[in-house]
Amino acid sequence: MNTYPNPFSEAISYQRMEQYDQEHLESLSNISPMTRTQQPIVTGTSVLAVKYKDGIMMTTDCLASYGSLARFKNIERMIKVGNSTIIGASGDMSDFQYITYLMDKLMTKEYNANNGQPLAPENIYEYLSQVMYQRRNKFDPLWNALVVGGYQDGKSFLGYVNLRGTTYQSDTIATGYGAYIAQPLLRNAVEKKNGELFTEEEAKKLLDDCMRVLFYRDARSLNKLQRATVTAAGVTISEPYSLETEWGFAEHIRGYGA
Amino acid sequence: MISEPIPTAQPARQMANRFDPYEDNGGTTMALAGEDFCIVAADTRQSDGYHINCRYAPKAHQLSDKTVIGTSGFYADGICLVKRIKQRMEWYYHQHDKVMSTPALAQLLSVMLYQKRFFPYYCFTILGGLDEEGKGCVFDYDSVGNVERVKYQAEGSGKELLQPFLDSQIGLKNRATDDVLDLTEEKAIKIVKDAFSSVTERDIHTGDCVEIYIIRKDGIECEKYPLKRD
Amino acid sequence: MINLDFLNPVEDNNGLETEVNKEYLENLNVPTFDIPLCNNPIEFLKHQTEAAEKCRLSIVHGTTTLAFKFKHGVIVCVDSRATAGSYIASQTVKKVIEINPYLLGTMAGGAADCSYWERELGRRCRLYELRNKERISVAAASKLLCNMVYSYKGMGLSMGTMICGWDKKGPGLYYVDNDGTRLEGDLFSVGSGSTFAYGILDSGFKYDMTPEEAYDLGQRAIYHATFRDAASGGIVSCYHVKQDGWTLISRTNVKDLHYKYAEQPKAPLV
Repeated sequence: MNTYPNPFSEAISYQRMEQYDQEHLESLSNISPMTRTQQPIVTGTSVLAVKYKDGIMMTTDCLASYGSLARFKNIERMIKVGNSTIIGASGDMSDFQYITYLMDKLMTKEYNANNGQPLAPENIYEYLSQVMYQRRNKFDPLWNALVVGGYQDGKSFLGYVNLRGTTYQSDTIATGYGAYIAQPLLRNAVEKKNGELFTEEEAKKLLDDCMRVLFYRDARSLNKLQRATVTAAGVTISEPYSLETEWGFAEHIRGYGA
Repeated sequence: MISEPIPTAQPARQMANRFDPYEDNGGTTMALAGEDFCIVAADTRQSDGYHINCRYAPKAHQLSDKTVIGTSGFYADGICLVKRIKQRMEWYYHQHDKVMSTPALAQLLSVMLYQKRFFPYYCFTILGGLDEEGKGCVFDYDSVGNVERVKYQAEGSGKELLQPFLDSQIGLKNRATDDVLDLTEEKAIKIVKDAFSSVTERDIHTGDCVEIYIIRKDGIECEKYPLKRD
Repeated sequence: MINLDFLNPVEDNNGLETEVNKEYLENLNVPTFDIPLCNNPIEFLKHQTEAAEKCRLSIVHGTTTLAFKFKHGVIVCVDSRATAGSYIASQTVKKVIEINPYLLGTMAGGAADCSYWERELGRRCRLYELRNKERISVAAASKLLCNMVYSYKGMGLSMGTMICGWDKKGPGLYYVDNDGTRLEGDLFSVGSGSTFAYGILDSGFKYDMTPEEAYDLGQRAIYHATFRDAASGGIVSCYHVKQDGWTLISRTNVKDLHYKYAEQPKAPLV
């Protein structure tokens, strides 16, 4: 604890004490700096996900950026948890790997319990959002925006949780840059269907179209994507694939410094 | 008693780019007390700045057959607070073999909010229900637990718009004539619906749908009333 | 999360009477508070309550309160407005906290701070009564409050209160604030409108007023403060502390006072 000179001694003015405080604190902070994740370092960009007829479809690209550098171009940003849940992550990749570890641990425990009641996507989502919220309470956040998708007992589940523990569930979710660019497109498509769900082909096309727009406009994105589905058949994460792109129109764009 | 070492203080200049644990998810809640009923209403939009995160994220929660709570502000804090209250009510139920009354809950909530005086819950809470005599009651809180029993109250992002409307329509404030208000349930619900439609018109963080909880002595009813989604 | 409890460092009693001690602590310890686990919790809170912050934690503030001793006891008068920034959060705040039938506390500064700590004070006064078979003196009560808030000095509590009561020594009036200041006095006014109230009080105060004159003086002082101070207003409440405890004298809307005073002839300037 801090020890102060006798404050009642007239010889010590307040100014002197403040100066002492400052020096004392600075020296302390040099000895034991308390630094934590105060900013993301290696980051992933948008995650997009929609509900469709058979369950959940989610897409991410395979890039992990280091600032503006496209540092790692073969990263998986979605993980399978159990047989009916998938988690997609944007934000800090090291924190996401820690979450991967947490989920592994959780599922090992689940396997050992073997109680005939596998964790539903809702349960995993609840666990994850509590972890995120507790870490924000400790001022040591996991710097991610996560999307949890699941399908169990004929019900699809789609939820979002971020570094502050804010949660919501929705039919379409987009994180990062996707929240600006893709979310309006996704919602528009949903509203056009008038309550009906997408078929698999429609969902695929919709997400691919959104990812293409994101690739055109998001400087931290990559044309190497993965698509995951959660259906009654289980979780599948596709091999990386690319989208057809068209840059001819770029010639005609004026403004934006071009 | 300090159970963990306090992290060493650092000069204020480091404050600029530190992690901000708060987020404003907006939302408006209100409650009003009638003679033998109470209404608690909250819109269901969750927003983050100019984003609409979700059109249905409930902010009003039923705590018992006599009490409903509404929170707005930081959504995660609100959810955590409601969760903790429910837990405390459960303990109370097992210890005393009765459900906690609304005024008791109101005092508990005040202390729970004050417990986090130095790291406050960023939420604006309203508690509504029936008291021990079966009369409608509304309790209004600030973020650190100052509580006041009132007749009606608006909180959240639209409170500046909503409260003057309620002052006029329910409080009958500063009128030249001596009107008396006979606040029936039907009239109250109508006022709540009008209030939320009006707030939706001028507050970007409010909209989509309002959940209206009507608390009567024979149970609670929840009515959903759609609002503009723009 | 760190639990903070300055007043009750756990004492090592060599493992004796652990159970008793625990029970004792459960009843007597001060509540513990969560503090943020960041580098500088105090700066954090200050920052968060600043007007500039996007997610602002508006804590309810702003007031005029007064209390004075005179021949027939203590008069306490307060307004009822609470403001958060420029928004009037409430016009109906009870700024006189009825600690027990013999003690009143007033509320200025953070509303939650005042009501919480004065409620805690009420609990302690009751315990004192049970232990000592007599009522606590106003001096002791105010000192309890003063010591409680002093242990949280510098952490951002905001409280300016007057503890008023009647004990063996007669009427008692103490001013206590969040710095840990505790002053005995005959006349205090606290809050953003206090300067206006002092002006009326000092010019109209006479020790041997009748109670009615005293009520009028107190109400006038608050009324004039609400007239000139934007953060004060609403309803003027007036209490009188006598030998056999306090009584509520009146609650009057400032609007009614305004028209009442407007009708009365103005006093000559000199």
